[in-house]
Amino acid sequence: MDLEHALRLAQARSFVAALADAAVDDDVSAAFESVLVELDWLHGDESPGLDTDGLSEDRNVLYLAATAAIEALALFGLDALDLELILVRLEAARALDRL
Amino acid sequence: MYGETGDLMRTELAALLRQHRILHRLGEHSPAAADAVADREAAGIAMQQYRQTILSWCAEAVMAAKPLIFSATLPAPANPFKTANEPGTAVGELARALRLARDASTSRRATTALLTIPSPNEVVEHWRQAARAAALAEHDTNGAAGARLTSPQAQALVGDVAAVTQALVVLDQRYLNIPGWERLAEPGRLGWAALATALDVSLGQPDYSIDNTGWRPRTHELRISPQKGILGVLQAEHDLLVWLKSFPTAMNLRLIVDSQQRLSRRLAPMVERTDACRAETWRARAASYALLKQQLRNVGGRIGNGGPAVAEASKAVSRLRAVPADTIVEPRVAAGFQTLFDGIDQRVAEIVDTGIDRGAYLQRVQVPRLVTAAGQMVSPVRERFMPLDRSVNTELVDAVRGLLPRDPAEPVAPGLSRSVLHSALIHRPAAAADSPQI
Repeated sequence: MDLEHALRLAQARSFVAALADAAVDDDVSAAFESVLVELDWLHGDESPGLDTDGLSEDRNVLYLAATAAIEALALFGLDALDLELILVRLEAARALDRL
Repeated sequence: MYGETGDLMRTELAALLRQHRILHRLGEHSPAAADAVADREAAGIAMQQYRQTILSWCAEAVMAAKPLIFSATLPAPANPFKTANEPGTAVGELARALRLARDASTSRRATTALLTIPSPNEVVEHWRQAARAAALAEHDTNGAAGARLTSPQAQALVGDVAAVTQALVVLDQRYLNIPGWERLAEPGRLGWAALATALDVSLGQPDYSIDNTGWRPRTHELRISPQKGILGVLQAEHDLLVWLKSFPTAMNLRLIVDSQQRLSRRLAPMVERTDACRAETWRARAASYALLKQQLRNVGGRIGNGGPAVAEASKAVSRLRAVPADTIVEPRVAAGFQTLFDGIDQRVAEIVDTGIDRGAYLQRVQVPRLVTAAGQMVSPVRERFMPLDRSVNTELVDAVRGLLPRDPAEPVAPGLSRSVLHSALIHRPAAAADSPQI
């Protein structure tokens, strides 16, 4: 994994984890967690660690940042369909979160 | 499980203690006097072999428990180099008397054929069942099982042995007229030692959770067709616990943890109307799993498998999703879920502990950095994982501890068969004078 790829993935994981932490209830949190697991699955569980400290508390900002970071992963040779499915899951979790 | 074997042994001995006029009972199938004597002698030989099996269990069980029994009545010896369970204590005397009775008997222990072939005679059949239970109880109290006993459990075991010994002494006295019957060695001494031991352990606090210990058959997944509704969830949860025997990868563990959070959260409202306390427990369980899931985000590791367990967890969640939200979970099913939840919680805690100890689970390094001093043309990315350290990852350790029950386990009831045997030991046959007269 390239350094740039690892940094992007770490960002995407951090934003999704922050969304899970800030979710309105446990069901929504579980939906964001499953996006996180999907991301790790896609990378063969070789993802770097995440850090949610200091991230924005605005869920809209976090959602947009997470979407951008996941879309950016397409530059590193990942299957576009897999990434699109993850984005669909993220969108579904967002709908549950009443954003 | 000792609860089953001990229960069967006590029940059968209590039934024997309530039988009087033994000669009549042993010879009832042979009206001719000569045949009756031969029948009684053969039955006596078989019963002595059964008794020898029970005596062997008693002697070995008391030896397994003896190192854990400390007399509640005797003062500790003045010499600090002498232990408090030296010869002279009640349990030491019982062990000696039992060993003597076992070794002095000329009967052999009952063979497998004797233990397994039912007898048409009621008395012999009770003996056979009691001896069979004693043979099976060796699995539960001796060897490795005995090594795991706690001191209060050992007290309960010795109390049971004392009661069984008393029963053998009473029956020995009652069977004196059976042709060829061999008395126990020093029956008086044996009876008094059993009584003293029973009194001694009753001064402590015996722990009857020993009934839940011992050998159990190996559990396997339910070989039944997929159930519908809430029973289908219960079935998948049971199979998940079975498959959790294998160690899962970190990713699969996260999926399992996620499934347990969802299950507890969705099941809690369904049990609210029948058992509000249990609903609260399940909500707390969901919260514990949510915390653990959060802590496992930064844990990775490819060692292990856990695929079948994840499949069952996924089945449980999807089946529960199909169950209407207003379903009421009946108390029996809720108790089943509780048992499985307890097993799964304990196993998940074990898995995380084992993963940390073996280095199977690793901490993800937060942001990789380039190692510039590696002396290579292309600077490699620094390792992305490092071993998990309990002193650093205290939040993960706390989350795992949160799964385990903190309240002390409720004391287990002694069970009915113990009181049945005790009352059979002291019962008196109804006197002829007490029976209604015309």
